[in-house]
Amino acid sequence: MNAIEIKGLTKKYGKTVAVDSLDLKVKQGEFFGLLGQNGAGKSTTINCITGIAKFSEGSISVMGFDVQKDYQKSRATVGLSPQEFNADIFAPLEKILDFVGGYFGMSTGKRKERVNKVLDLFELQDHRKKPFGKLSGGLKRRAILARALVHDPDVLILDEPTSGIDVEQRHALWEYLENLHQAGKTIILTSHYLEEVEKLCSRVVIIHDGKKIADLTKAEFTKNGDKLEDVYLRLTAKAVAV
Amino acid sequence: MNFIRLSTVAKREIQRFLRIPIQTLISPWISATLYILVFGVIIGSRIDFLENIDYIDFVFPGILMLQLIAGAFGQSSTSLYFQRWTKVIEEMLTSPLSYTEMIFGYIIGAIFRAFAVCAGIYVVALLFTDATPAHIGLFFFYVLIVAIIFSLLGLIVGLWAEKMEHLTILQTFIITPLMYVGGVFNSIDMLPENVQWLVRLNPFFYIVDGLRYSMIGYSESPLFLGAIFLITLATLLFAIVWVLFHRGWRLRA
Repeated sequence: MNAIEIKGLTKKYGKTVAVDSLDLKVKQGEFFGLLGQNGAGKSTTINCITGIAKFSEGSISVMGFDVQKDYQKSRATVGLSPQEFNADIFAPLEKILDFVGGYFGMSTGKRKERVNKVLDLFELQDHRKKPFGKLSGGLKRRAILARALVHDPDVLILDEPTSGIDVEQRHALWEYLENLHQAGKTIILTSHYLEEVEKLCSRVVIIHDGKKIADLTKAEFTKNGDKLEDVYLRLTAKAVAV
Repeated sequence: MNFIRLSTVAKREIQRFLRIPIQTLISPWISATLYILVFGVIIGSRIDFLENIDYIDFVFPGILMLQLIAGAFGQSSTSLYFQRWTKVIEEMLTSPLSYTEMIFGYIIGAIFRAFAVCAGIYVVALLFTDATPAHIGLFFFYVLIVAIIFSLLGLIVGLWAEKMEHLTILQTFIITPLMYVGGVFNSIDMLPENVQWLVRLNPFFYIVDGLRYSMIGYSESPLFLGAIFLITLATLLFAIVWVLFHRGWRLRA
């Protein structure tokens, strides 16, 4: 079964077409990269998958559940780490995680267990009582990742998870993500750091102006010793020329 | 409806207002105390316009209602507006919460704040008057239905508002003026006969009058019709809010 299946997705903001007839499949257990320039439609696609944005054309299913007709079941299977820090800056981290667990219908006992687990996983135990707004940039990023995992989702969507954090923390984060992938999670990653996409992802799709312009496996984008960055620049330059 | 999901939203709402008690509780308690002192005790002791009813007893239900409405409306409108503005709302939008669970969660939060505000004001009022409700069941009905109505109105404004200033528009230009001319401080009999019909068109008159009856047993309006009107209004507002949430109006891109 595909973890995510998008058919003919079109999303418009007024007259602007953000995503144009996009077809996309992400296999279960895949570490998948979604690439594109700023404004290419990556975040819009993610927003349509997770329910933050509405769409009028096409269909999306997550773990077999239609995101519009079966929205409660589909959302229960997804964890989102958005690009922006969208957490209550005054609330202590442990409360934020506990509330999100509650939104997913987890019992008090289960929430306590999972909150502890994700705090351990991202080495945040010492910061659990701190308000989100008082955490450093790197800690906030880890906290957002922890929040995405509280309900133990099958699919994890990471929108620019390493933006604004230092090299050491980025490497630590890669390790976390690789461990999650090893544990069987399907991961969708968008990033402007193409070396991390190359390192982590087994397949990438590049979108430009809301359209898919390439769908490549790791073997394809690294053949002849190519770097993903070179392939990406070549393909997007070609798309711009067209 | 899932109880865990619903109670989580409600709990978060309650914790939000408890986090800022000066703004959400102490401020309305102080305002109400000043109203009670000035209008009820200082001026009220010189007013004798109804037989067997002290002015402070007459005016207290209106003062209580003013703060209750402000509390319920402020709770849901501010909470929803800030969650939209900071995008914290996305935590809920990406979860399996149903629209009904979200709306009820906000309403329960507003009811708790309204009851907390009322309880504090009541304690103050007991120092000056025998504020024991004449009809306790009716008293809770009016407090509850008014908290529900104004929390729903707050949700509509919280969705509609594009900037902070918008949150105060309804309160400043509609709620407060209609409350003040809706019989908080005066009996309808004190007005010239040719304007009394205007007061009877004001929904706030029935709200204040209903609560007053539940507290001191004195009424100037048809209570049953007033209660039916309030229940209908709450149902209608709930339906409007549900449709707006379902359509994702100003919630989903």
